[in-house]
Amino acid sequence: MKHVLKIFSLLVAISGLWIGLLQASIIPRSHTWLLPIYFIVSLGCYGLLMVGVGLMRFPTCPQEALLLQQDIAEAKYFLKQRGVDVDSE
Amino acid sequence: MELADRVVGFLLSFISLSIFTYYTFWVIILPFVDSDNFIHKYFLPQEYAILIPVCAGVVLLCLLCMFVGFVMLKSKKKKA
Repeated sequence: MKHVLKIFSLLVAISGLWIGLLQASIIPRSHTWLLPIYFIVSLGCYGLLMVGVGLMRFPTCPQEALLLQQDIAEAKYFLKQRGVDVDSE
Repeated sequence: MELADRVVGFLLSFISLSIFTYYTFWVIILPFVDSDNFIHKYFLPQEYAILIPVCAGVVLLCLLCMFVGFVMLKSKKKKA
């Protein structure tokens, strides 16, 4: 419940800021009306960028993969000796 | 394998950056440019700057609701 309250208060603060900007008219009016949509689009863009960057920098650890395969082979051999067959394809 | 991942990641970030710059240009910089500048040829009329994100958001919301309803129906059918 508390996390929802935090998000809600953040939304209220941002909308208060926007209405204040509308009243004070520092920026030209037409720009102020378009600001919320602009922020939503830029937020979506930022999320997509983070996904792309994370995909690009994903570590694959080839040595760990090799060690893992060795562990799997060892476990299969061990279990086969005890009579359990885990090598089904 | 990782080359395909890197290419997809690079494509995604490139698409997101281009959308961001195009939209920034469209919404913020273009109103300050004179009306008969050549750059206006490359950008759609300004109404579309609001229409396209709103339409995309509505479509996304519809797809999300359909997906949730579909999953709920499927789980109810399996339990019954």
